[in-house]
Amino acid sequence: MRGIAKSMARTFAVFLRKPVTRDYPSYHKPIPERDRAFPLLLWDEDIHEPFCTGCHACERACPVECMTVLMKDNPNHKTLDGTSSRRKIIDKFWIDYARCMRCNICVEVCNFDAIAMNNTWEGHETSVYDRQDLVMDLQQLLSQSRTGNINEWVPVLGQTNETISEADAEDSEVSN
Amino acid sequence: MVEVLSQTSDRSAEFETQDLLLNVGPQHPSTHGVFRMVMTVDGEVVRDVIPYIGYLHRGAEKLCETMDFRQGIGFMDRTEYLAAFNAELSYVMAVEALADLEVPERAQWIRMILSELNRLSSHFMFLGAFGVDTGVFGTPFIYAWREREALIDLFEEVSGDRMMYAYFRPGGVAWDVPVNFVDRVKEVLISSAQGIDDFDSLLSENEIFLARTQGVGSISAERAIALGMSGPSLRASGVDMDIRRDEPYLKYDQVEWDVITGEHGDVFDRYYCRVLEMRESIKIISQCLDRLAPGPILPEKMPRMLRTPPGEVYLRTEAPRGEYGVYMVSKGGNRPYRCKVRSSCLSNLQALHELTVGEYVADAIIILGSIDIVLSEVDR
Amino acid sequence: MSVELFGTSFNPWVDAAIRLQLVVGFMTVVVMGLIYAERKILARFHQRVGPQKTGPRGLLQSVADAVKLVGKEDLRPAAADPWTFELAPYFVFIPIFLGFVIVPWVQGWNVRLLELGILYFVAISSISIVGWVMAGWGSDNRYAIIGALRAAAQGISYELPLVLALLSAAMLAGSLQLDKIVEFQSAVPLIVWQPLGFFIFFVAALAELNRTPFDIPVGESEIVGGPFVEYSGIRWSMFFLAEYAGMLIMAFVGSSVFLGGYSWPFGEDFGLPFQMLLAAGKGGLFIFLIFWVRASVPRLRIDQLMGYSWKILLPFSFLQILINGFVLVYGLPHIILLITGVLSLGLLFWVTEGIVQRPLEPRRRRARPTIVQEAEVS
Repeated sequence: MRGIAKSMARTFAVFLRKPVTRDYPSYHKPIPERDRAFPLLLWDEDIHEPFCTGCHACERACPVECMTVLMKDNPNHKTLDGTSSRRKIIDKFWIDYARCMRCNICVEVCNFDAIAMNNTWEGHETSVYDRQDLVMDLQQLLSQSRTGNINEWVPVLGQTNETISEADAEDSEVSN
Repeated sequence: MVEVLSQTSDRSAEFETQDLLLNVGPQHPSTHGVFRMVMTVDGEVVRDVIPYIGYLHRGAEKLCETMDFRQGIGFMDRTEYLAAFNAELSYVMAVEALADLEVPERAQWIRMILSELNRLSSHFMFLGAFGVDTGVFGTPFIYAWREREALIDLFEEVSGDRMMYAYFRPGGVAWDVPVNFVDRVKEVLISSAQGIDDFDSLLSENEIFLARTQGVGSISAERAIALGMSGPSLRASGVDMDIRRDEPYLKYDQVEWDVITGEHGDVFDRYYCRVLEMRESIKIISQCLDRLAPGPILPEKMPRMLRTPPGEVYLRTEAPRGEYGVYMVSKGGNRPYRCKVRSSCLSNLQALHELTVGEYVADAIIILGSIDIVLSEVDR
Repeated sequence: MSVELFGTSFNPWVDAAIRLQLVVGFMTVVVMGLIYAERKILARFHQRVGPQKTGPRGLLQSVADAVKLVGKEDLRPAAADPWTFELAPYFVFIPIFLGFVIVPWVQGWNVRLLELGILYFVAISSISIVGWVMAGWGSDNRYAIIGALRAAAQGISYELPLVLALLSAAMLAGSLQLDKIVEFQSAVPLIVWQPLGFFIFFVAALAELNRTPFDIPVGESEIVGGPFVEYSGIRWSMFFLAEYAGMLIMAFVGSSVFLGGYSWPFGEDFGLPFQMLLAAGKGGLFIFLIFWVRASVPRLRIDQLMGYSWKILLPFSFLQILINGFVLVYGLPHIILLITGVLSLGLLFWVTEGIVQRPLEPRRRRARPTIVQEAEVS
């Protein structure tokens, strides 16, 4: 009986505590910068084209083969009186979010820092009625970066806290 | 004197009774996933139990053979989703042993902190699920979730993901921990200690809980060893075996902590061993935090694509549920020729028949809960 | 022949119909409130918030649930026994509903005050066990049949301590009529003279209502809802309604018999609003206690449950009746009741603790895992 009394005392003590519920749909918890949702392509604001050159590095490194990449000659290249220094550029890009397992390998192998994991809430709330809607094309993959909604964090393998500068250190501090 | 209340007389002498075949699972709230057992019950007493596994088989080991070493990490996470850091640890340490990689100091400390934190979160999960199995309406589950949420938030800040971390890499860890990591861990440790206290006073002395768990599902040390049990389930039977102490890996030989063993090998011991083990984990982590010094986290010269010389290795670590071993054969090149996971849950599950037969139906549920299986690890 | 109701006189049949309609309406609303209260209170025990999206502070949650349940398809398994399966909810629901006849809510507010009120109450409420067994048998489901048999065993076993505890209270009050018992307590509530009786009543009431720690007939984690496992929609909600209505009636009977109902501590003549407040407060306290226990303790096993009733509660309730008999027959002062009550309650607690903690054989000893070896420090 003393044990039961102790249990009941504890539950009553908890009864008087403040609830810990996060009221999810109306409150979104701040997401840490290095949070990984699904991969996105990044947009080069200076030249107005994607960073991605369609080199297939991510496609080959993907463990679940969720990516399809097609490349083309860049019509905006300097030799064609354009502004870009990219000879080749991405033509078509699909990522099947239903297959992606968010392992971050595509980001690590990318030589141009052209792909990043989505670290906003849009990347997490992706429910659809049809699985086909989870296959993202180039425009959908770029849209978040074009509108500046993504908080880029492209991790460098083996990067330590000492090697990043003071300003970066403040950035990478988690907000909550 | 629990017998005063129970009556397990052999009624077959009095009546002609017919056994009832009771199918539990794969969709049952207390089978912790998609486990199925077919019980033959005589009234309320279990006469026989046949477990069926394989509903969650995804062939993770075979898939690893088609992937390079970095790609395999993601699949190892998914074999043990409640303690993914521990699963990764065995895998990357096996790769390191094959490739003869030296792991920097700081990376080892980080790995140790994270895998102990993951042991905490996994044991919280056990406490919650087990409490619900014994019949408390949701209270332990929500207490456990409260604490586990804090731990998972921390893992998210470090690795970027809440369950499938893919953070340990052959040679070290992928990137450094956040700058405020130490303070955050200290915060979480305080709240976790509070959570363990909550559990201790909610369950450990409750008379009804004791009546339900003590003397139920006992297994002797000899039988536990013979059945290949490991981890807290084995230590509860009084076997003093902990890989962290017996074959120290990482820096376990440099911190001070105790191995917890039980006495009777019953459900209560398996529960209480885990509670005490969590307190030991907190002790380990706070010592690790003091020793965490700046430094590199990956070896100086990491090849872009890791290749190993031919060889084979079996490497085991102490995961929350017991011995999690990875056997790996390489014939040279960038992918394993064979990768086999020695799952602690599958081995612990072998004891189910022995533990359950002769007990009540209600006990069968808490016995299954007390050996703490994760079906993704059983089926892989 | 006519009967007074609200100042107007009616034919007894019309009067009875009106009163029953009032009870039905009252019960449905209160049960909805109880479900909402349970969800909110249990949520606070879990450090959660509970329902909050439907209506202000989630107040309409029960209404939303009811609409959903009524609109849900009423499924019947192909192999089920149609008559037994379909009739079972009524057999559970109607006896509980009939129990409302004798409850004295406040002075003068009731359906009928029967002279054998308590006897009627225990007799009528035990019929619902038949409904449980019918539900279990008719569903053609093995979980259901196990649950039904557990319900039958448990219901019959705990009926006895419940009846004896009520009887011991009725001995002192000298009546089986509930408003007489309430009247008797206008100075001192019976819980003071009958602490042991109250404890036995509370435990047996928990068992009769199938609440934790005696919820083995439903046992969500073992037999997934027991007899209800095959029910859905409106039939399932009838079981649910019966469960909460049973809790309500048990709480009011308990507070009338042991806590002084609407009478103690202000007496019979105090204003009606205060009486309502008192009755609701005491009933609410009783219900809160049930929720609190539900959030705190695990479920017993079937053999422990039966043993506790027959081997411990039953002898102690006989002890209580014996003590009452001595005191009443020899005209001893009531203070002796208090002393012996507290002593025997202590004895009951001691015995209950002893069951768990006393080691009989080493295998069942309380196992504190010991720390055997320290890791070597290098």
